[in-house]
Amino acid sequence: MKWRCALIQRWLPAYPDGDLPSFWRGRIRSHLERCPVCREESAGLAETIRAVQAAGEPDPGEAFWEDFNRDLHLELARSAQAPAPSRFSKIPYYLLGAPAVALLVFWVASIYLHQERPGLAPPSPMAQQEKAPEKEKMAARPRVPAPAPEETAGSVVLATHNGYEMPPDDDVDLLLGDLDTTLAGMTEKEKEAFLKRLRQHDKDGSCSKEYSAPFWA
Amino acid sequence: MTDPQLVARAQEGDLPAFEELVKKYQREIYSLAYRLVLDAEEAKDLAQQAFLQAFVHIRSFRQQAQFRTWLFRIAINQCYSYLKNRKKFGDPVDCEDFVLVGEESPEEDLVAQDRRQRLYAALQRLPAKQLAVITLKLEQGLSYEEISRVLGGTTGAARVNYCQAIKTLRKYLQDEDDHEVAVRSYPKMVTRISRR
Repeated sequence: MKWRCALIQRWLPAYPDGDLPSFWRGRIRSHLERCPVCREESAGLAETIRAVQAAGEPDPGEAFWEDFNRDLHLELARSAQAPAPSRFSKIPYYLLGAPAVALLVFWVASIYLHQERPGLAPPSPMAQQEKAPEKEKMAARPRVPAPAPEETAGSVVLATHNGYEMPPDDDVDLLLGDLDTTLAGMTEKEKEAFLKRLRQHDKDGSCSKEYSAPFWA
Repeated sequence: MTDPQLVARAQEGDLPAFEELVKKYQREIYSLAYRLVLDAEEAKDLAQQAFLQAFVHIRSFRQQAQFRTWLFRIAINQCYSYLKNRKKFGDPVDCEDFVLVGEESPEEDLVAQDRRQRLYAALQRLPAKQLAVITLKLEQGLSYEEISRVLGGTTGAARVNYCQAIKTLRKYLQDEDDHEVAVRSYPKMVTRISRR
């Protein structure tokens, strides 16, 4: 087959339609006039097209269409009653993973922050009311000196004049740190209460001026 | 009433308006489905599915294209998915069943019937897209531009696809003829082979 014939035969099936660009129509027409091989090919293709067209459309008959329309009507009526598909129902399921991961990260982060800084969240008034009687009970309970801590290497022990006796928690608060720094972060009311407590401890003698710094046991 | 008016009413949920559209295009859609799947019952189901899908999604139709083209596209997608499943799960279609629905007369010319069966056998060997192009072009009479809108791609691609499809179909028909000649020339040998 010549290269020219190959080029022409590429467009031959569309030639009978007249739907080709005029340039190709003219070239094919002139080529078919002088090339018997392409003429034969063209005739064969036209016969194939005629065979497909002659096969005819299937006509199943009126009974078939009545049945078809009845079934379809039922289906359409059923789908008309159903609510229209929402826009969000088209979202692929795998995209639901992103919000799930975000929720998980948020949850983990909230737990982590809660453990690190428990004082961040202010207690609710209900919780405060519940805690108030407990505080009173604790205050009424006589203070028992804490048992002597085990001397372990690397542990920090607060030493007082009374030997290895640990001061109560309140005393530790009073003893540790610089007084000015402690007072700086307080309101007037708190300052007053703090100083009152300090004076009381001073009178009792529980607050030792000969406070010694923590040392490594 | 014109198509755009009927579509507008159907978009507002008017079922009788949509059923009028169904009556208008049901033969074309059924014929298209029948040509693609070559099975009368499946074609009926696919045509009904296509109309149902069109009704469900008619609000998303923006009237930029013709309703007919949009309907063809839905029907072809349904047929593609059916053909894909049939290919996957293997449901061979018997060529003896390729008799046109409604043709009940036994006096029909046997030669014409034989020719039609060979044509269907050749059509069945074509890729789905080429079969769709031939059906849309030769039976539904769509232009290449409309075919490109239904099947996607450009007008030139639709033309090339059609030319290729016709050439392939001709080759397959020649193969069928050659096979027929070969079978008729050596009937005893064919009988022997089939018995084995």
